[in-house]
Amino acid sequence: MSKTAFVTGGAGFLGRRFVRKLVEQGVTVRCLVRNLRDQDGIFASLSDKQRRLVHIVPGDVADRALLDTELPEVDIVYHLAAALGGSTSTMFLNTVIPTRSLLEAAALAEVKRFVLVSSLGVYGTGKLSYRGVLDESTPVDPCPELRDAYTFSKIRQESIAWEAREKWGLPLVVVRPGVIYGPGRSLLTSRVGLSIGPLLVRMGGGQQLPYTHVENCAEAIVMAGLTPNIEGETFNIVDDHLPCGKQIVKFLKHRGKRVRSVWVPRPMIGPLSALYEWYSNWSEGQLPSVITRYKSRAIWKSVRYINTKAKQKLNWVPRISMEEGLNQTVSTEL
Amino acid sequence: MSTNRKTRVALLGCGQIADAHLTQLKRIRSAEVVAVCDVHEDLAWQAATRFQIPRWDVHLERMLKEAQPDVVHITTPAQTHAPLATQILKAGHHVYVEKPFTLDAIEAEEVLTVAEKVNRFVCVGHDQIFDPAWVRAKSWIKQGLIGDVRHIESILGYPVDGKFGSLVASNPNHWVRRLPGGLFQNTISHPLYRITDLMHEEQPKIVGGWHCREGWSFPTELSLSFQTGNQSGSLTFSTFLPPQRITRVYGTRGCIDIDFDSQTVRFHKLTRLPGAFAKLEAPWQQFGNALWNLSNNVRRFAMADIHYFAGMKTLFERFYEAIQNGTPLPVPHAETYRVTHLMDRIFDHCRPQEVGDRQHLADGAYPRLSRSIS
Repeated sequence: MSKTAFVTGGAGFLGRRFVRKLVEQGVTVRCLVRNLRDQDGIFASLSDKQRRLVHIVPGDVADRALLDTELPEVDIVYHLAAALGGSTSTMFLNTVIPTRSLLEAAALAEVKRFVLVSSLGVYGTGKLSYRGVLDESTPVDPCPELRDAYTFSKIRQESIAWEAREKWGLPLVVVRPGVIYGPGRSLLTSRVGLSIGPLLVRMGGGQQLPYTHVENCAEAIVMAGLTPNIEGETFNIVDDHLPCGKQIVKFLKHRGKRVRSVWVPRPMIGPLSALYEWYSNWSEGQLPSVITRYKSRAIWKSVRYINTKAKQKLNWVPRISMEEGLNQTVSTEL
Repeated sequence: MSTNRKTRVALLGCGQIADAHLTQLKRIRSAEVVAVCDVHEDLAWQAATRFQIPRWDVHLERMLKEAQPDVVHITTPAQTHAPLATQILKAGHHVYVEKPFTLDAIEAEEVLTVAEKVNRFVCVGHDQIFDPAWVRAKSWIKQGLIGDVRHIESILGYPVDGKFGSLVASNPNHWVRRLPGGLFQNTISHPLYRITDLMHEEQPKIVGGWHCREGWSFPTELSLSFQTGNQSGSLTFSTFLPPQRITRVYGTRGCIDIDFDSQTVRFHKLTRLPGAFAKLEAPWQQFGNALWNLSNNVRRFAMADIHYFAGMKTLFERFYEAIQNGTPLPVPHAETYRVTHLMDRIFDHCRPQEVGDRQHLADGAYPRLSRSIS
């Protein structure tokens, strides 16, 4: 019998691809959308047959009454929705608080699987050695409040999900994607450097970037809901043959894209971050503390990312190679 | 209250504006934040963790009892301001309320009356009149540089796709959308009190209205004119404009532009030279203004004195001084009521044909503050 999945965040950059992958597996999708205008994006890439498997549920993740009506009818909950911008409180309001509501409702409805899409950013890299391996056994950042608003909210979101598993036995699976890229998104993310107006301040350049193509990532998330006997597991999602920042900039320039950048060599990142942090504190926030030594270490430290566990346990293969993915993406940027 | 101990501050409501409060409070040496409280434990926890506040809670009464603050800052949705302020005042604490003060003048009168009765102070977050740029402009006006103030023009650019605007616009259940004055009620007090700060007559005549931008289901644009016997004002709220906060004050001898975002204050004197010479005098003045603003802002930058919420810090300090030392309240209770009353009149004026839940009052039927409140 076909399974039914309840999906949040199905209208986003990842969500639209994810919904398509899910219906390709024959899963019936009940897709929660806040704004009905978003449904066009979800249906755009689906065939008529696939469209019949997707049901739009207008509403908000924080609407507990709606969740209590919806969730008893579903087998799997895929929770992709999260705030991507705004202040820390906004992130908490739009990511953590609705997640609490969803976790409670899912536990009450006794769903068979709850897949939480978290982030690879939740790890603390402080104790990893230079070019050490970051995998699922790496501890979560012990001082999330010192990180950026998005990471802080994702760490809290994960923590309450694990609490729900402990408290109510929620069949939780956590997926931690790296930086999701693909057509429609810039390749020059904060992992490569900081954008200051039209200028890119490249940070280091030799460190591996934990990129995953949106299609590959969507497939992994689908598998996290459908693979049996993986409750309580966490999966890092990054592609094979990861590039470094230097290669991305070189690739973009080679493809004719103008990148105006200044380079900060890796040994200088720490001292410059410390200097900025000192100034920010001294000036009582005249320049906000967007860069600190702690944040710099977390984002630009040179570590190696692996995807062995996802490949082995989810039987996942990143089908779109890095080369193909970069080519696809850059063609939409030019 | 002893003057040599720090003012104990608690904050209720840990949403977006709470960050601004907590950041400015950290800069005030004479105050300490003793607790934060929010109905959502995650919000209270994140604020306490980030700002290293010793206590967080989800129960107001328990927090008040255990943290014993002198002042409680209310930064919750506006619908809760009046009941929470009343409860906190009755529990014996002073209260700072974020704008908008209350939902309407009826609630404002109730809160201010309770404050008088229990001998506690209330301060509303009219922080931009303590912004360095506004303070500078006021001192120039006081010196008589522009003569008598005749007209005040206040502009607020508020794109609906901005950081906060998009949250409000995309969610019909957002608390801002459920205010009697909708989007405007949460935002226009700033440009409005920049007008009333210089307008002598309490309740001017209102002309103008609001309308919905194409494609939007709620009023997004507001354009008003205020008329008194010898002064006028105009207020423009536009979602077509990028974020900006500008006020221009016209006097009998010149005018002053105050740009809160660029922290510039420009003085234009009416030209005195005849004919074509006047066309040289004006740009010469503007050149002088630009030089003055550049050097002033360079000096302030070097002294780390450029902060978006600088006015908020000054307002907090003045309020705490009033509590500790009995100095005058930075925003008198009567001014708080006046702005709330004027906002009521604006919203009633803008929707005369609509049938709303709120009772529409004729101008003369608004409650009056008791004479003791000033």
